Amino acid sequence: MLEVRDVEAGYGDVRVLAGVSLSVAPGEIVALLGPNGAGKSTLLACIAGLTRFSAGSISWEGQDLRTVHTHLIVERGIALVPEGRRLFGGMTVQDNLELGAFAPRAWPARRVALEQVYALFPVLAERRRTTVQALSGGQQQMVAVGRALMAAPRLLMLDEPSLGLAPRLVSAILDALATINRAGVAVFVVEQNVPAALRLAHRGYVLEGGRIVGEGTGAALMADAHVRRAYLGPLAVRPSGERGE
Amino acid sequence: MSVLTQQLVLGVLIGGLYGLAATGLSLVFGVMRVLNVAHGELIMLGGYGAFWLAALLGVDPFAALLVVVPAALLFGALLYWGLFSFVVRAHEEARVKNSLLIGFGLALALHALAVRLWTADERAIPTPYSGAVLSVGDLAIPVVRLATLAIALGLTVALQLLLAHWRWGKAIRATAEDWQAALLTGIDVRRAYVLAFALGTGLAGAAGTLVTVAYSVSPAIGLEWTLKALIVVVLAGLGSMLGTFVGGVVLGVAEAASAATFGGPYREIVGLVIFVVVLVVRPRGLFGR
Amino acid sequence: MTAAGRERRWAVVVLAGLALLALLPLARPRDDVLNFVFLVLLSITLAEAWNIVAGYAGQVNLGHAAFFGIGALVTRMLWMEGVPVLAAMVAGAVTATVFALVIGAAAFRLRGAYFAIGTLALGEILRTTVGTVLPEISTLPAATIAGYRLTLRYYLALGLAAISVVAVAMLATSRLGLGMRAIREDEEAAEASGVGTLALKLIALALSTALAGLAGGLFAYYHISYYPAHGFGPQWTFDALLMTFIGGVGTLQGPVFGAVLYVVLKEYLALHWVDIHLLIFGALFVAIVLLLPGGLVQGVERVRGMLGRRG
Repeated sequence: MLEVRDVEAGYGDVRVLAGVSLSVAPGEIVALLGPNGAGKSTLLACIAGLTRFSAGSISWEGQDLRTVHTHLIVERGIALVPEGRRLFGGMTVQDNLELGAFAPRAWPARRVALEQVYALFPVLAERRRTTVQALSGGQQQMVAVGRALMAAPRLLMLDEPSLGLAPRLVSAILDALATINRAGVAVFVVEQNVPAALRLAHRGYVLEGGRIVGEGTGAALMADAHVRRAYLGPLAVRPSGERGE
Repeated sequence: MSVLTQQLVLGVLIGGLYGLAATGLSLVFGVMRVLNVAHGELIMLGGYGAFWLAALLGVDPFAALLVVVPAALLFGALLYWGLFSFVVRAHEEARVKNSLLIGFGLALALHALAVRLWTADERAIPTPYSGAVLSVGDLAIPVVRLATLAIALGLTVALQLLLAHWRWGKAIRATAEDWQAALLTGIDVRRAYVLAFALGTGLAGAAGTLVTVAYSVSPAIGLEWTLKALIVVVLAGLGSMLGTFVGGVVLGVAEAASAATFGGPYREIVGLVIFVVVLVVRPRGLFGR
Repeated sequence: MTAAGRERRWAVVVLAGLALLALLPLARPRDDVLNFVFLVLLSITLAEAWNIVAGYAGQVNLGHAAFFGIGALVTRMLWMEGVPVLAAMVAGAVTATVFALVIGAAAFRLRGAYFAIGTLALGEILRTTVGTVLPEISTLPAATIAGYRLTLRYYLALGLAAISVVAVAMLATSRLGLGMRAIREDEEAAEASGVGTLALKLIALALSTALAGLAGGLFAYYHISYYPAHGFGPQWTFDALLMTFIGGVGTLQGPVFGAVLYVVLKEYLALHWVDIHLLIFGALFVAIVLLLPGGLVQGVERVRGMLGRRG
């Protein structure tokens, strides 16, 4: 159970998060929507321990995360797929995946976990010895998700997983997330692709200007007037990433 | 013709040591963007370590590796904790600049210490087999130098394998690629840094021992070998340990060729000129990504 | 008081000190006292010169010795051919500056550490080449040795130190100096706000190397005999580095403090242990980089701050 309460964060005088509260229950898929620059990535970075936050609290399974070192967050059961994937470019698919299980909790089970990831993304199995740099964007995204899965997380966080991917691949990734969730992993996903995200998610939040301005079930948000106007209207971002007319 | 070949062979023999010397520097710089310009002084200390073991305890210098390398690994860890761990707190550009300055201060202090302990004279480690020569046709290959080349190559291969297959070796490589992503996958980046720095120092210690047994050691070799290592790192680029080794051999051969063509004193200059040219034209080096 | 005001005030203080030193020869001190102060003055010039590129433009130039050496070489050659020494020194400085600008244009393409090690390599190339081409010791002819007057060289050193202090003060308080400081703080930001970084870096380099060249010329005028390659030795760079950082990089008075401390400690300790001053300075340097980047100047300010609060 992830509990974010009144979190504030910023750089110098810039306030990026101005008091954000949300939660993710075990087994849920929760989407975080909002325009660019609203602070979505910053929030994920705060949860994952990459960035400090100046006020509020973040707790996971009842324990305060503020003082936990970044590399130990994974050990606690939270894995982040960062924006832009951040793979280890010069290393092979297999190496990247294996490193995902680096945490002591996950390391002994890495071979089993690897087979599970290859079952989820068969195309990676064929390319396991390929250097990640040589893969396509979609395949790299699969490696990124797979790497996070190798840590056997109870909460999987993703920052813009569909960014720059063709529609077919976006569906593949989102289907994979649904499968992962059915296995009991909670998913917290930041997404620009609102329709797809809301179809997948049980619940969602809307983050604008550093604050939560809306929340509800996936269906409720889809029907919400503000959400429709801002994110689903004619000028909203289409699933393929292009602006519609 | 055979004089030139002889020179080139000798160039290859020392080139292997240039390569080994550079691997330590390259590893540390690649992983944590710390440019330890005291690397040559660490090589020097490794050499003096072997010298002491030989002079005081009569230990064969090749056997001395078994003592010098672990000691160097430990020293590297201590040096990291005591000094360079503070440098890595800054962001990348400041890191490089600060490590340069700190390495400089460290080099100065270590150099002065060496002069204090051993005087400025050259020291060598004579062994019963020092003069042995392998004759291949017209060529006379000093056996000791051949052995050091073999060991240097062996250590480089071992290092490459370590980085490829050891769990922490992969962690070190991952940290070199993207330390934040490494943190996100659960890698304790600070530990990766300590390991990398210790390995780098261990390699320096090994290189120093080999240099001393094949040639000689004096406090002055510190700056000299730092420059050699820098030249090879810039020449070969970061990323591949074997590539760095080959870069060292290339430097050794280039030096030999230039000494044979232009005369002895120009041996040193060619390396420096190559260095400057590569820096300006292709900062990523020959093999670097 | 603004930063510029502080620099001006310190310049006045240092110049006053130099003026006092001008009276020293009148007291007919022993030669070794004059030699000692000469060394301090030469060091001040060398350090202030280095500080221009490091402290004001933010680049660590490890080839400083090359320009010192060029100045020395050209001055010595011309002077031995009969050219008046001042003209020879100016020629030496000009040669050094031209050389600097030629390589500077290429060298400044390198960032940070690459610039530092690149300039180090260039310095070493020059030293090795000169050592190979001119391996013989250079000795003054007997007539010149007979006419050698230390006080003349002393006043020349004094004048040069004064010139370097004035030059740095003028730079620090000028628009150029402001631009350079911006580069030192954050080169990319400076570039983005319209500061012509390459031009400013070249100006800083030109001024630095001109002064270093003059200092080299002075060195050539001072020594009766020396190996030409010695003028290119890395110790001139490293000494300047140590003095500037320990004293306080980026300030006018820092290099002066550093130079005085360095020479005093070196000469004193050399009586007992030859190279031990390097061990001490090496360790001190590391401590300063880690703990007190502003050097002694920053240290003094902190102490003043602490005392101020108590009182």
